[in-house]
Amino acid sequence: MKNKSENISLGLFVLIGVVPFAAAFGYAILYSFGIIGVVNTGFTLEFWKAVIASGEFFKSFLYSAVIAFISLLISVGGALWIILKFRNQLERKFLSYISYLPLAIPGVVAAFFTLQLFSKGGFFSRISYNLGWTETTVEFPDLVNDAYAIGIILAFTTIVLPFFVLLFMNVYKNERIQELSILAQALGAKKNQVVRKVFLPILLQKTWVLIVLYFIFLLGAYEIPLILGQEAPQMLSVLIIREIKQYDLTKISEGYVAAVIYTVIVTLAAIMLFLPKKHGAYET
Amino acid sequence: MFLEVRNLTKSFKKEQVVKNLDFTLDAHQTLSILGKSGCGKTTMLKMIAGLVKPDNGEVLLAGEAVTLKKPEKRNIVYLYQEDLLFPHLNAFENIAFGLRLKKLPQAKITEEVDKIIVSLELEGQATKMPNQLSGGQRQRVSFGRAIITNPSLLLLDEPFGSLDAGTRKRMQTLFQNLTKTYNITSLFITHDLKEALLIGDKIGFMKAGNLKVYEDKNAFINDTTTGVQEEINFWESLN
Amino acid sequence: MRLNWKPFILSLFVILVLFPFAFMVLLSFMSGWRFPDLIPEYMGLNNWNTILGSEVGLLESFFSSLIISLSVAIISTLTGFLLSRTVYYHPRKRVLTLLTYFPYILAPVVFAACLSYFFLKLGLFGNITGVIVAQFLIAFPYALLFFSSFWNKKIRSYEDLVATLGGSPVQKFIKVILPLAKSMLLMCFFQTFLISWFEYGLTSIIGVGKVQTLTIKVFLFIKESNYYYGALACCLLIFPPIILLYFNKRYVFKNPI
Repeated sequence: MKNKSENISLGLFVLIGVVPFAAAFGYAILYSFGIIGVVNTGFTLEFWKAVIASGEFFKSFLYSAVIAFISLLISVGGALWIILKFRNQLERKFLSYISYLPLAIPGVVAAFFTLQLFSKGGFFSRISYNLGWTETTVEFPDLVNDAYAIGIILAFTTIVLPFFVLLFMNVYKNERIQELSILAQALGAKKNQVVRKVFLPILLQKTWVLIVLYFIFLLGAYEIPLILGQEAPQMLSVLIIREIKQYDLTKISEGYVAAVIYTVIVTLAAIMLFLPKKHGAYET
Repeated sequence: MFLEVRNLTKSFKKEQVVKNLDFTLDAHQTLSILGKSGCGKTTMLKMIAGLVKPDNGEVLLAGEAVTLKKPEKRNIVYLYQEDLLFPHLNAFENIAFGLRLKKLPQAKITEEVDKIIVSLELEGQATKMPNQLSGGQRQRVSFGRAIITNPSLLLLDEPFGSLDAGTRKRMQTLFQNLTKTYNITSLFITHDLKEALLIGDKIGFMKAGNLKVYEDKNAFINDTTTGVQEEINFWESLN
Repeated sequence: MRLNWKPFILSLFVILVLFPFAFMVLLSFMSGWRFPDLIPEYMGLNNWNTILGSEVGLLESFFSSLIISLSVAIISTLTGFLLSRTVYYHPRKRVLTLLTYFPYILAPVVFAACLSYFFLKLGLFGNITGVIVAQFLIAFPYALLFFSSFWNKKIRSYEDLVATLGGSPVQKFIKVILPLAKSMLLMCFFQTFLISWFEYGLTSIIGVGKVQTLTIKVFLFIKESNYYYGALACCLLIFPPIILLYFNKRYVFKNPI
C-alpha cells in the first residue's frame, strides 16, 4: 500500500519533471539530424556541419557568456559593496522595504524601462538635448540595441543586483559574519583583512552555486536581449528562437542543432554543479 | 515475558549496526541501556518501534509477533532526545494529540489531559505554545503526549540529553514516579552512568551493535568493561 | 574634515529604486511626448480610461494573466509539495534532484520551442490551458526544489513520532505535515505565481499570440511603439507583486536552492 502510493508519486514525478524534458530534447535531436521535420528527408549531418561551419552559434554563445559574466560581475560586486558599506542602514524598516521592491520588476519591464531611458529618443537623450550637449538624436550614444550590449547589461543588472543584495544580507545574518568579524578583529585582523579573510570568503563560498546558476539563467535569457539586443551577434535564446521560428523551413533544423548544443552544455553544467557527492552519512 | 527481542540484526550498506540483538523485558519494568553515540542504540529502538525494518529477527509483544506490523499499529511510542512538540499546537493540544487521533469525545479528552497535566506538574501551562515553555516543561509535555495514549511500551532515546543538570535530576525523579503511577514498561537509553543506574530496574550495556543485559545491578557494576569500576575508583581516590 | 558621503549614496539608492516605478506611472498618464520635449502634450487619465473601456483588451489580459498565474501557482505548489516528499525521502534523491535541475535551468523559451510539436499534437497550442500546462512544466521543478529543505531529519522525526502515537498516514499529513509546511507553502505559492506572472518567452511560443498575457501585451506595445500603453501594461504587471510584497515581504525571498 505504502509502496504503491510511492510508486504513483514517483511515476508522476517522472511524467512531469523528466518526460517533457526528455521529449523536448529527443525531438530537437531528431530534427537536427533531419529525421523529422516537414522538409527533411532522412538522416543527415548536413545541418550540424552547416552550424559548425558558419560559426554563428559559437559566436553567439561567447557573446552571451561575456554579457552574462559582465552583468554578474557588476551585480555581485555591487551587491557586496552595498552590503559592506550600508548593511546597517538597509536593516531600517523603510530601506528594507525599498530594497525588496526591485523584485517586483519582471525582465520584460526592465527591458522596456531601459529602452525608455537610454534610447536615442529616450529620457536621457531629451535631457542631454535640453542641456545642449547633443543637437540631434543621432548624436546621442548607442546605449540600446548597441554593439557592446550596454542596454542588455544595464537591464540584467537592474534585475540581478537587487537579488544579490538581499541574498548577501540573508547570508550575512545566517552565517553570523558580524560576530565573526568582531572575533577576527579581536584576533588582530585589520579592517581590510577582515573583508578579505572573513567577509568575502564566507559570502562567496555560501553563494557560489547560486552565482553560477544565475550565470546560466542570464546565458539563456530571452526577453531582455530580444528587446535590447542588436541584429548580430544575438544572445543564445534569441538566436535559437529566430532560427526555429523562421519562415525558411530549410533553416529550422539548424535552429534545433543550436538548441541541442545549448541543452547539452547547460545539462553538463548542471551535472557538474549538483552531482558532486556530499559526504553521505547514516543514522545509528 | 512482556517484550521479547530475538536475533534482531540491521546493516546499513556494508556496516552491521545492530548485531543479533537478543533480550527480554518483564511488564512494568524499565531497562536502561548505556551506550556511547554511534553504538547502534537508536537503530535498535527504531526497529522495535517499527520505524526501521530489521534485516533479520523478531519482536514479540505480550507473546504476539509485531515484527511485520506498521508503527501506528504497534502501540509502542518512541521518544526522541528532542521533545519534538508540535509548534502549531499548545501544551494541552500537544498532550491531547494521540487521543484526538483516536477521535475520543471532547469531555473524555479534557478529563484525561487535565489529569495528566497534574501528574506532570504542568498546572497553568496548558494554553502556552511550545516556544513559551522551558526545556524541562517541553520534555514533560512530550512525556504526557506519549503516556496518555497508554502505550504498551515506551522507548526513550536519551530523553534528558539536552537538559541542564538541575532540571535533569528533577525529570529523573518525575519519570520514576510516572512509571509507577501509569505502570509503564520502557526501554531507556542514556549515556549517563548514574542515570542508567537510577532509572533502570535492569541495566544493559551496548557497544558496537552488541547489547549485553545484566542479571542485576551488581553484575553490571562488577563488569570492568562498563567503566563503572573506574568511576568508583575515581571518587574513592578523592577521599 | 571628512565629508560623510553615506547619506548621499543612500538617497541615490532610494531614488534609483523608486525612479522606475514613478517613471512607469507617469509615462502611463502621458500621450504625445515628442522628442525633445521634457513635458508631454497631455498628462491625465485618458489612457487609463481607455483600458477600463477595454478598447485595447488590457483588462482582459490582466484577468487572463491572473487566471493563468493563479492556476500555475496552485497546481505547481501542490504537486511540487506532494511529490517532493517521495523525491527527497528516496534513496536516490541526488539523481532525482539532478533530473529536476535540467528543465529548471534550461531557458524556458528554448524548452517551449522544442516542446511545441507535442503541444500542437495534444491540442494545447494557442489556448489558455496549453499556456497553463507549459508554465506548470517550468514552475514545477522550482516548487519541487523549493521543498527540498523541508523534508529534513526533523520532519522525518515528526512523522515517525506521529506514527508511533498511532496516527495513520492521512492523519499525519493533515494534522502535522500541512501545519508545519504552511509558511513554506505560502512562500512557494507566491514564488510560482511570480514565475508565471513574469513569464514571456514560453508563453509567446505556446500561446502563439492567441493567449495575450500582460507580458505579451507589453511586448506588443513596444513593437507598435505605443509606449504609453506599454507603460500602462507595465504598471499592471508590477503593482500586484508590490501589493503582495507590502503585505509580506518575506514571502518573496527564498533561495531557489
